[in-house]
Amino acid sequence: MSTQDKVKINKLPTGVPGLDEIVGGGLPEFSFNIIAGAPGSGKTTLAHQFVFANATPERPALYFTVLGESAIKMLRYQQQYTFFDPAKLPGAIRFINLSQVVLEKDLGAVLEQITKEVEKANPAVVVVDSFRTMVRKPQSDMDLQSFIQRLALFLASWQATTFLIGEYAEDELRDNPIFTVADGLFWLRQTAERNSIVRKLQIVKLRGQDSVPGLHTFRITDAGVQAFSRTFGLTGHAKNPPSHRRLSFGIAELDKMLGGGVREGDSVLVAGSSGTGKSVLATQFIAEGIRHGEPGIVAVFEERPQAYAERATSLGLDLETPQKDGKLTILYLRPLDLSVDETMHSILDAVQKIGAKRLVIDSLAGFEMALSPGFRADFRESLYRMIFALTGIGVTILSTVEVDESFTEFPFSTYSISFLTDDIIRLRYVSIDGQLRKIMVVIKMRGGNHAKDIREYEITDKGVVILGKRLTNYQALISGIPVYSERSDLTEKPSLDAGIEHKT
Amino acid sequence: MTAPPKMRDLAHRLLAYEAGAGKTSEPAESATLRVYEKLRQSLGEFVGVAGFQSLASRALTLARPEAPGLSAARVTEDGYLQGLGEIENQFDTDKDRAGEGGIILIARLLGLLRIFLGEALTLSLLRNAWPGEAFDDRNSAHGRKA
Repeated sequence: MSTQDKVKINKLPTGVPGLDEIVGGGLPEFSFNIIAGAPGSGKTTLAHQFVFANATPERPALYFTVLGESAIKMLRYQQQYTFFDPAKLPGAIRFINLSQVVLEKDLGAVLEQITKEVEKANPAVVVVDSFRTMVRKPQSDMDLQSFIQRLALFLASWQATTFLIGEYAEDELRDNPIFTVADGLFWLRQTAERNSIVRKLQIVKLRGQDSVPGLHTFRITDAGVQAFSRTFGLTGHAKNPPSHRRLSFGIAELDKMLGGGVREGDSVLVAGSSGTGKSVLATQFIAEGIRHGEPGIVAVFEERPQAYAERATSLGLDLETPQKDGKLTILYLRPLDLSVDETMHSILDAVQKIGAKRLVIDSLAGFEMALSPGFRADFRESLYRMIFALTGIGVTILSTVEVDESFTEFPFSTYSISFLTDDIIRLRYVSIDGQLRKIMVVIKMRGGNHAKDIREYEITDKGVVILGKRLTNYQALISGIPVYSERSDLTEKPSLDAGIEHKT
Repeated sequence: MTAPPKMRDLAHRLLAYEAGAGKTSEPAESATLRVYEKLRQSLGEFVGVAGFQSLASRALTLARPEAPGLSAARVTEDGYLQGLGEIENQFDTDKDRAGEGGIILIARLLGLLRIFLGEALTLSLLRNAWPGEAFDDRNSAHGRKA
């Protein structure tokens, strides 16, 4: 059978920001779906969003309420959401109460009532809320299975896209005839993590659709449910071919150390202890990009955007003008209850909005602290997904990370994230001639040669300035306590570890 | 506390509309009962019989202090209103008082809907039950067209 002969399944908008991408572009028309989850997990709100997004006076939505929340209270609360349009009731959206039929009669009568209403209204969307309360009445499994199958068959034949809403526990997922019949199964979870609530959504099944697997974070705001895809909405984006272009830091000596600059689309980690100039380096990187017409995003967690811009001014870098011109966005992400995916979506939105080519995350420690405790466990995994997604579309990312100085080890980061990065620049203090001076070394550059030199630098009113040539008269510089040596033959040999343990 | 003027006005208009319609079709039934029945059918569909019965009972309780004549009226388990005909017959000689209890009862019922659902949704539901009637603010008691 050729592609032309195959039936085309229309995809309906879910009305839930972020969910269309998760379900593979929209909900299959005429599908029979179940939204399951514990009370308060957002099932009804999600169904309402779908209903309001799809119901029209010509093809209305029928919303059957059963024994759960009363329709009056449901509407009272639901109309607080911005998606709720009262003008759609009752012409395009009709609420029909089935409680009496359910209480007084059997499932056959319920099916008859639904059938009657559907035949009368010719709806595009049918919701039964809560379906679970309807089937809790004692009845044989055969009755229930037969009812579900007849209901699914009838609603599909009448070209209705259906949602059954039910309170289900995780252990009910197996061997349940309802889930077998359903085309789509949406599972909503909410769990308490320390003092925060973490909401997650899973598309357990969705026939005929290439949905994104796994657990996706969602949030309920005054706009209703908003979902955050694990793939950050970049599933359909073509990956950029590897670039050979080098991006400058605006520091000629550092660019040389990097073999001509950072490769476009790389993820760069700048690691060092407090005060070593990580943020200064990051600011110079973003400012140099803007100077070359490359819009940038700075995500800050430890200081406010105004303070960040003012500090840049003290280095002779103007971040105010590019912000006004839409070439730079400084994002301040500090609410302590964010999900990691939500935070990353904020960054992605900003990147896409201004077409950013460079992104600075300053710092990873601040980023992690801004998250709800429950999401910190997923931090590395989520960071990996974001870096992979963004670098794939050609954005170059520079992240700063603070590391504790040690005189026995030379850790690259406290996050064990060096595997996520293409390039690592390590900054550290070193004790020389009775002074606490600073050295810089390029630890790693994936896919390119880089200098092995350890260079001394200073932070001046022009930013990071690399001094002279490499320090050749010292051994064990990376230990922080180098040993002075006047041996001239050492000048041509790299003075790397001297027995110091490397940690990543 | 009395029924809000806006709801009284709305109730008055519904009763007037039904009184006009009733002259030709069902003269034996009072306008109040006709309005009540339309509301029962329209609201009953989405709040259920028990849901409507609860609302109507509450409305009747709220209306009684303003209209003592409603003391004999009651809402049955299936949401019907009983005992209103007798009350309205008592006022038959005084046209101004005729239907006053009904207006208050309907105003209280509409007031409850407005409290729970808001004005926009309440008016949407009324438009559905009375498709021929306009319910925007321009037709309110303070700015009625005609």
